[in-house]
Amino acid sequence: MQRNRPPSAQAIKVLRALAADPARWRYGYDLTAEVHLKSGSLYPILVRLADRGLLETSWEPGQGSRPPRHLYRLSLAGREYVAALPVAHPARAGRGVPRAHRPSEA
Amino acid sequence: MPIFIPLICLIAMGVAVFRRSVPDPLTGPAGRDDVPARLLRWAAGLLSAQRAEWGQAMLGELDHIDGWSRRWRFAAGCAGAALLLPPWGRAAAAVWGMVTVAAGAAGLYAALAVRYGLGAWSWVFAAVVLVLLAGCTLAACVLVRQPGIAVPGLLGGLLVALAWLVPYGFTFYGLIVAVPPFWAVLTQGLGVPLLAGVAGTLWGGSAAVGRRIARLAAVSAGLVLFLYGTLAVVAIGAAGAQIDATWTVSANVEDRLGNNVIFYLWLVPLTTAALGWAAATATAAASARLRPRLAVSVASVPFTAPGYLAEGDQGRKEMPPYEAGRADRGRSWRRTVYLLLLGAVVAAAVFGLALGLLRG
Repeated sequence: MQRNRPPSAQAIKVLRALAADPARWRYGYDLTAEVHLKSGSLYPILVRLADRGLLETSWEPGQGSRPPRHLYRLSLAGREYVAALPVAHPARAGRGVPRAHRPSEA
Repeated sequence: MPIFIPLICLIAMGVAVFRRSVPDPLTGPAGRDDVPARLLRWAAGLLSAQRAEWGQAMLGELDHIDGWSRRWRFAAGCAGAALLLPPWGRAAAAVWGMVTVAAGAAGLYAALAVRYGLGAWSWVFAAVVLVLLAGCTLAACVLVRQPGIAVPGLLGGLLVALAWLVPYGFTFYGLIVAVPPFWAVLTQGLGVPLLAGVAGTLWGGSAAVGRRIARLAAVSAGLVLFLYGTLAVVAIGAAGAQIDATWTVSANVEDRLGNNVIFYLWLVPLTTAALGWAAATATAAASARLRPRLAVSVASVPFTAPGYLAEGDQGRKEMPPYEAGRADRGRSWRRTVYLLLLGAVVAAAVFGLALGLLRG
């Protein structure tokens, strides 16, 4: 059912941002600011990454009248996936993963 | 007849707002309640069950964002994502079908505008048509993803479309030029929309599902009929009986295209959705009333058929007794107002149809 298409350039930006501090839980809005993505682009990416097991999610309990908040960080598989990515190159940024360097498992 | 469309529209909107019950995906605290939060709550309520958690995630994040413009940007982006977020499954085929129909109709409309050299206002009108087509397509995309809606909704749309095409024998000339018989007008304007609501409720088992089925039937029929009507104008152009002998070919074609828009992108979706909605609510309420009587009359017989819950009855068991009494009084008052508004909608529709026939 799940198709392992290569990640988009935006998804790779999100993965790299999460990999900068893989143990830390992040909020969705902080990620939008960090990777300069709109919420309408970020959430579908987070959903796809979570579906593929590259992302761990958790809930921060709500305080008072505030609803709970969703948290994200890379899973072990996500860290291995990012480690297998080619090193970011300024000229290639935004082009996605070259076919020859795509990790086999994602 | 078109004079009464805004009237019916206003009454239907009033009833819809009054009876509105948006499912709240949040089980915990709801947080802020400004317009961006309401917009996002509405969009999150349309997510499939597998994605409900992501709707909560977006709402939870929005609650921690300050600033009017930042909240709007975040909520609008998330609402767009929620409307289009997979999984689509088999619904994807229906969505592509709708998009194809809408794109085909828009393309034919543009081709006619070029071929007959229609004026600048036609292009302004074409922009309005595009907005209506996009609105119908988006509504269909959202509805077709809901569980248990796609098949009965599309069947309902087929039924509505047939009610508009059968009286003319599927002929292009009849659809554009002929005046429909009285029985056909009653069937198209009242009978089939009410049937869609009743059948949708009985199929889906609740008023909410019945209303969604009626809405999908309304927009899908509108799209198909608009494509068929535009094809008819392509086929016959300005031929046939004309309203005024002094009109030019372009004026006739423009008039026919305008009629298609009014009837198929406005009247059909509006009346089908409004009347189907009312019929769905009435069917659920009637089923909920009949249920205890049925249970008494067949008490000695094992009876396992599911009942049809009116929306207000859901979750009643969890209420403490004093709150249930208050809710009963509120429901009774709401039901009275609802029946009055429903009567007004039906009366306005019948009056409009009768006046249209007299004028015709």
